[in-house]
Amino acid sequence: MLLDFDRMGRPLRATLVGIATLTSLFLLAPIVFIVALSFGSSQWLIFPPPGWTLQWYRDLFADPGWLEATWASVRIGLLVMVLSVVLGFLTALALVRGSFPGRAALKALFLTPMVMPVVVLAVALYAMFLKLGLTGTLFGFVVGHLVIALPFSIITIGNALEGFDFSLEDAARICGASEWTVKWRVTLPSLRLGLGAAAVFSFLVSWDEVVVSIFMATPGVETLPVRIWAALRQDLSPVIAAASALLIGFTLLMMLLAAALKKRNR
Amino acid sequence: MNAHTAPFPMAAAAHAPPSRSSTGLRWLLPAATLLLLCFLVPVAMLLVRSVTEPSFGLQHYRELVGSWTYLRVLGNTFLVASVVTVVAVVIGFPVAWLMAVLPRGWAQLLMNILLLSMWTNLLVRTYAWMVLLQRTGFINQTLLKWGWIDSPLPLVNNLVGVTIGMTYIMLPFLVLPLHGTLKALDPSILRAAAVCGASRWQAFRRVLVPLAAPGLASGALMVFVMSLGYFVTPALLGGTSHMMLAELIAQLVQSLLNWGLAGAAALVLLAVTLGLYALQLRWFGLASKGR
Repeated sequence: MLLDFDRMGRPLRATLVGIATLTSLFLLAPIVFIVALSFGSSQWLIFPPPGWTLQWYRDLFADPGWLEATWASVRIGLLVMVLSVVLGFLTALALVRGSFPGRAALKALFLTPMVMPVVVLAVALYAMFLKLGLTGTLFGFVVGHLVIALPFSIITIGNALEGFDFSLEDAARICGASEWTVKWRVTLPSLRLGLGAAAVFSFLVSWDEVVVSIFMATPGVETLPVRIWAALRQDLSPVIAAASALLIGFTLLMMLLAAALKKRNR
Repeated sequence: MNAHTAPFPMAAAAHAPPSRSSTGLRWLLPAATLLLLCFLVPVAMLLVRSVTEPSFGLQHYRELVGSWTYLRVLGNTFLVASVVTVVAVVIGFPVAWLMAVLPRGWAQLLMNILLLSMWTNLLVRTYAWMVLLQRTGFINQTLLKWGWIDSPLPLVNNLVGVTIGMTYIMLPFLVLPLHGTLKALDPSILRAAAVCGASRWQAFRRVLVPLAAPGLASGALMVFVMSLGYFVTPALLGGTSHMMLAELIAQLVQSLLNWGLAGAAALVLLAVTLGLYALQLRWFGLASKGR
């Protein structure tokens, strides 16, 4: 009865619906507020705003620093995406298909960066890159993000591989396809959903990454999150609300895109 | 007749691993190199510094457990992680439960709200809470207007703010695995409990909760572990007088350049985190199978 919505009884149903409604408001409130405040005329982010303005968006686009940081984030994100999918595919293939001693332990090891506190990785990489003179370089950001993104790729592609029927490969071989053709024309196309999901995840991990980036950043070389972080440490300027609203818009766009892709593939 | 229905011999052969199994290790090479050079080596070097800088010995560990400042940081860390986990379970269980029984459209709506919040940039969410909770923020202004309080409540730069912000961020990590577990349960089990004369409360306590326990435990453990090592939200909502462990490590490195002590604090955080991760692996297996 407890798992049947229509027959769980009115008091219980009302309680659950009440809690879920409040939770939904709790989850949505900050997002709605920030978008509203980004158009509000109050410098002190008073809600409801006394008037409406596009001032903060004008300020945002007038500052070349924000655009440069966004561009850096995009470049780093795309590099991380490509590397993470390629490395993730090879690793997942070995972990799912290979049979060698210590496979389970290796799998756990490859997923460790996902559960490790990011701050430890950030500080450790910072120490090493400081000695090598690699802080403030594209390389530093990409490597740091890649270590964090790779486990997501391995899991996503690994799940896709587990659902892939490898006898299709044998069938292609029997029909005379070369090993390269088999991988390129049979295996990869069947895995495109998993590979696509891994690509999106990896990009988003890099795009949102704050902690490693704070340590890798040097004056003049920063990603969008580092820029927001630095601005937040000074004041809660409404310009950050404008940048935030644009990021929320981007998130919504990605979610719609993902939903559309899912529908098309069903 | 039997000969025709017997499994096709080829199908059985297809399940056996192909002959190229030994080449598997070669494919691990690129990722293994990355992990070794940019993960294992730097982390090991950091941990080694905790016993070699400025001189060889365990002085940093003694300092960590011997000073009230650092003990308070450890206390804050465990306190916030525990409170966040408990609150997330109390809110998250009913939400996951409802999501598992709602008709598809409504369940999808709830799921989308969760995902939107989870996918929104972490700094954006934290910024939103800083704005909402500040002295002149919406929450304080509303409470003042309604006459519930006489002066603004201190909701930021303390552990209250950290707990609110962290609960917000952690909630999806509890609801999603729990929803998976509850959704997989067979409703007829609970009908059976009712038929056998169990009251609602008994069915809940003796049937539903035990069956949901794996999802609940793995979600709660994940939230707890993630909260222990969280940096961004505590740093922005907590302020320097209410520090948590991750923030202490960052500060020791960035402003105090005390690499030895930072390494020691990192080892403590790492040991607790990986210890709990190992427990989770043992109890629930690898994360790749769950959702």
